[in-house]
Amino acid sequence: MLLFKLAFLNIGRNPRRSVITVLAVAVGLGALIFLWGFSDGTTDQMRENVIQLVTGHAQIHAKDFEKKLTIENTVPEHRSLVKRLSGMKNVVAVTERAKCEALVGTSENSRGILLVGIDPVREVKVTRLLNYVTRGKFLMPDDKRGILLGNRLAERLEVDTGDKIVVMTQAMDGTLAGFAYHIKGILHTGSQSLDEMSAYITLDSAQELLGLEGEVHEIVVRLKERKALPAFLASVKSFLDLKVYELMTWDQVVPEVEQWAAWGEAIIRTILVAVMFVIGVGIMNTVLMSVFERTKEFGVMIAIGTSPIQVMKLIFFETFVLEFFGMILGIIGGYAVTGYFGKVGIAFPELERAFSKSYMSTVTYTQVTPAHVIQSIIILFILTSFISLYPAWKAGHTEPIKAIYKG
Amino acid sequence: MPLIRVVKVTKSFREESLPVTALDSVSIEVEEGAFLAVCGPSGSGKTTLLNLIGCLDKPTSGNIYLEDDEISALGQKELTDFRLRKIGFIFQDYNLIPTFTAIENVEYVLWLQGVAPRERRRLALEVCERFGVAALAFRRPWQLSRGQQQRIAVARAVVHRPRLVLGDELTANLDHKTGQELMAFLKELNKEEGVTFLYATHDPVMMGYADKIIRLYDGRILE
Repeated sequence: MLLFKLAFLNIGRNPRRSVITVLAVAVGLGALIFLWGFSDGTTDQMRENVIQLVTGHAQIHAKDFEKKLTIENTVPEHRSLVKRLSGMKNVVAVTERAKCEALVGTSENSRGILLVGIDPVREVKVTRLLNYVTRGKFLMPDDKRGILLGNRLAERLEVDTGDKIVVMTQAMDGTLAGFAYHIKGILHTGSQSLDEMSAYITLDSAQELLGLEGEVHEIVVRLKERKALPAFLASVKSFLDLKVYELMTWDQVVPEVEQWAAWGEAIIRTILVAVMFVIGVGIMNTVLMSVFERTKEFGVMIAIGTSPIQVMKLIFFETFVLEFFGMILGIIGGYAVTGYFGKVGIAFPELERAFSKSYMSTVTYTQVTPAHVIQSIIILFILTSFISLYPAWKAGHTEPIKAIYKG
Repeated sequence: MPLIRVVKVTKSFREESLPVTALDSVSIEVEEGAFLAVCGPSGSGKTTLLNLIGCLDKPTSGNIYLEDDEISALGQKELTDFRLRKIGFIFQDYNLIPTFTAIENVEYVLWLQGVAPRERRRLALEVCERFGVAALAFRRPWQLSRGQQQRIAVARAVVHRPRLVLGDELTANLDHKTGQELMAFLKELNKEEGVTFLYATHDPVMMGYADKIIRLYDGRILE
């Protein structure tokens, strides 16, 4: 215990230096927690954006539909399947869609799009499409010839609400089918692909256009939370014939999100390494200075019988104490700042265009993930312990004669 | 049987690339309970001899025995343990640990030996009492005069009842009166408790306290 006491007393010897070291650890750890919280918040929002914007948590199609978008490839026995899915645990809502590639045009412009037939009443329970109508109105179930366009698509076509456009596609029987539609609303989702490439009509209208006769291409399921997905998938797989159907999770439908998340994580880890390096150098500098200042003292301690291991323990303990207080402050500070921005958010309105390619929101709500906080603490602890090895070794191997007589 | 036997010990090293022989085939014997002064001019090898006997350094050749143990053949770990258990050091600059109080400085060696907290406090206070510094026990070194610091350093050197106490120019930083008081006090301790003292000095007055004087010149003993 005397060694611990000595360590504490030594820390108090140069209060300014000790405070700077504690603050360096605190700021470093706080920054790590915040950065990781920022990254976690961003990726989590990206995931939720994708789920709530378009994919739901899971989708069921006929086998290979999503890859080829073959309109004849409809979901077998979709009504009974929807009924069964609706009754499952953690399922909030289920909706159906028809999807096909189509050409949309005016007398002057035309564009290739993904035409989606939605059930307006059920769709709003699964996705937030309704929230993204910036001009005009959302579809109603009886809107047989109403259409919603993404804002960029409308800009390209030079049309707005109330204008008439023509949609043409290939019907089930192979013939060319086409209807004229009134633009009922303009959507602005923030997703470049959706705003530039998608148009929505009612499911009834899509079935009529394509000659689907009540069939659908896609069943979309929304769950209570993302965490419920693995259990839901396991239950569905127990009864769904995967030779006939394809069961896809949100991240299989839009795989880019996880790629963006992995990229973001890699950037954050790179920053973490840099931050760790700066903290490490700072601590090593402080500990080394403190060791060099006390060379004579270590020489005397070793001369009167202190073992090198005991001297090394002393240095380790001094570093640990500084680290401990720094970490406590860092955790408090990191949680406070991350928590604050988790509530008010950090806005990047000028980056909307760039963010829209990756389903990122222009306002990021930071999020503390305890596992990442623990990881940061462990990494910092290992780093500082490793860094204090050299000064500790140096102190433990002080040559008493040189230290005492030459200082 | 002598407490210490130094047999044909030579210590040489290089200083600025030049070979220096600090001790040249030195042989001495120190009886238990002796109060011995090592004297000689600066650079004569006094400190080197004390460092070798004190297990702080190893001879280039020759052997050193403390009782039956050949200390010149021991490894670093054994030497550390040997210093802790059998030797006490008094340094010219006192070299107390500045963050500890006087009593903690005295207790420190007992702590290294694993003595229980109550017992080591009792022993340390007892020694401080004997050396007339008990009232200063809870002061830090910087709150003490030079003489008081040196008394605490002596208390630290003897609290664990070592077989041998080594002192290197232990009065050099003290005024004449305080130095003499300290020497008289150490002499008393030597007589009453039989502790063997070996101290290096070039002060003729301090030499006067010794039972026997070893004179060194250029690393050799002057007969």
